[in-house]
Amino acid sequence: MEPSILGSFGQEIIGVMSPVSLCMLLVVLLVYSLSPSNPFSSSSPAPVRTVANLVYTENPSDTAAHKLEGALLNALVFVILMAIVTFVLVLLYYYNFTNFLKNYMRFSAFFVLGTMGGSIFLSIIKHFSIPIDSITCFLLLFNFTVVGVLTMFSGGMPIVLRQGYMVSLGIIVAVWLTKLPEWTTWVLLVALALYDLVAVLAPWGPLKLLVELASRRDEELPALVYEARPTVSRNEGNQRSSLAPFVGGVSDSGSVELQAVPNNNGPRDGSENRRSSEYTAIQVRNLENVEGERDRDEGERSPLVGHSRERYSSDGNSSEYSTVVRNRESEIVVDEEMPPLVDLLGMDNEREQVRRVGIGDSVIASRGIKLGLGDFVFYSVLVGRAAMYDLMTVYACYLAIISGLGCTLILLSVCRQALPALPISITLGVVFYFLTRLLMEPFVVGTATNLMMF
Amino acid sequence: MTVAAGIGYALVALGPSLALFVSVISKKPFLILTLLSSTLVWLISLIILSGIWRAFLPLNSATWWPFAILLFTSVAFQEGLRLLFWKVYKRLEDIMDAFADRVSKPRLYLTDKMQIALAGGLGHGVAHAVFFCLSLLTPAFGPATYFVDRCSQIPFFLVSAIIALAFVMVHTFSMVIAFNSYAEGNKVDQLFVPVVHLAAGMMTLINFASGGCIVGIPLLYLMAILTLMHCGRMVSRRLTENHRQGSS
Repeated sequence: MEPSILGSFGQEIIGVMSPVSLCMLLVVLLVYSLSPSNPFSSSSPAPVRTVANLVYTENPSDTAAHKLEGALLNALVFVILMAIVTFVLVLLYYYNFTNFLKNYMRFSAFFVLGTMGGSIFLSIIKHFSIPIDSITCFLLLFNFTVVGVLTMFSGGMPIVLRQGYMVSLGIIVAVWLTKLPEWTTWVLLVALALYDLVAVLAPWGPLKLLVELASRRDEELPALVYEARPTVSRNEGNQRSSLAPFVGGVSDSGSVELQAVPNNNGPRDGSENRRSSEYTAIQVRNLENVEGERDRDEGERSPLVGHSRERYSSDGNSSEYSTVVRNRESEIVVDEEMPPLVDLLGMDNEREQVRRVGIGDSVIASRGIKLGLGDFVFYSVLVGRAAMYDLMTVYACYLAIISGLGCTLILLSVCRQALPALPISITLGVVFYFLTRLLMEPFVVGTATNLMMF
Repeated sequence: MTVAAGIGYALVALGPSLALFVSVISKKPFLILTLLSSTLVWLISLIILSGIWRAFLPLNSATWWPFAILLFTSVAFQEGLRLLFWKVYKRLEDIMDAFADRVSKPRLYLTDKMQIALAGGLGHGVAHAVFFCLSLLTPAFGPATYFVDRCSQIPFFLVSAIIALAFVMVHTFSMVIAFNSYAEGNKVDQLFVPVVHLAAGMMTLINFASGGCIVGIPLLYLMAILTLMHCGRMVSRRLTENHRQGSS
């Protein structure tokens, strides 16, 4: 019996959804385990002063209107700062400061993994009373950080390692962002979704400019992106011929993704195609990064909130530090190598060939969907914040985000251009969170505690 | 009662579905997508139901008939959604068959269709277990436990996990029965599914009486086993027919 098509339908979507789900799961676990076991203890940490808290630090005793107003101001400031920084990035890229950008991103990746990751490890060790001495700990952390920087910025590393480090970067930044106060987080998420929509789709949006710049130069986007490499299709033959990769970019808050490396010379057969394509454009030059952005701003004399980076001590000393949090680039690129889904939407092989020529012979070199790291981070922040309320909201938000991601991917295969990945998912996530919290919870808890279920 | 107990309760409710997931569903990405979308549909139905009933909550837990109405409307709504799910599935099946023809692959086999139905049912079951059992399980990871007055012999968490397991079975296999009966046009089986769902819901009403869970839960399991056997019988019948047709 020939293998049925059910085995290969929708593989690429799962390839993107599993790391997103894994990231969200780990963030929820970390949030749960690192949250103080006694919420009323006097050692609750002083509120962190970050860029997102610039204007207004939330105080639980403020009125709702005051909190909302403060949160809106915070979100506005954050989005404006992010827009400015993205424009600066576009400018730098335009004037070919690529070496600077590359080294900057290396430094910032090192910094994020080292300090932010380090402090999370330390709080885990403290929480679970793991017996480990400081020299071993330092050595392990140093190794972890250095390997991380190496995998992300040089070729020849196993893809699994790179994917793992991408996911862990997303986890680290997301866990930090969940420390923001509640109202600010929600308003910030909505504001970022709107910003993303504008930045990618509007003609003067910084991300759109970046995509166009990069595609004109036929280079990789300067961004941190997660690539889901395609799995080897088990049935050779027909599938191969329909692989005419195309560029579909889904960009979102932050990263610009590019695809377009001419690849017309390779014959149409599978392995050859893959080999030539994989190494041309997969050289991801990751230039955008969290800490990086902030440091660059320092370098450019645009002073921001206090720069003292002290270790966060959870015993209540008010240690201020600027968590330089910047939105990461995020985007999705669909590679038309997912013939089933593409064909699902009515395109056939012939049209792919025609389209390839029509785009001006710019064909994607990479195969597999790419999702920017900012997407990972903000999805996980939403789910992490939902986890601080209840598990029911976590599941509802998880399902909402995954379905939003699925919709975005389907839209991507229809539209064939850069699309923001945040808006649909964040909107659905926020809506489902509030619906679950207000409507569903009394309903379900009321029937379940009476042991009545359906 | 500690992390071990919490994980134990979670596995009681979701163990068989986890086994099904790992062995059947995780191998085919489309089935994972089906599972996720059917879970989402169940969640949306739950949100709509709670929206409708919000004004009447919290219900007075002394009388049983408001709960009966609640259960009846909920089950009716979900069965209606199952029909909708079937229509969407039909269209999807046509699209997949058309695609299969285009890449000159065989069309969907009968086992494929049944697997899709299984994934859909498992999605509903997992959603039920997650929202009715797991989301209330957070305190179980701590140092104490909780008993309900009406069923005071076993901890609440264990009771809800056992009930959730029964419902997972009912949901999973009734979807297979439903899809098969819609495909064949078998009226008896088409009615079987809503009736069993309603009966299972009503069995939980027996839990309302003090000490009622001793009677209610075994009856619930009776329904679950009934569904399982009926599904098994129907599937084996269809497969043998199909095989006989194929080889003749």
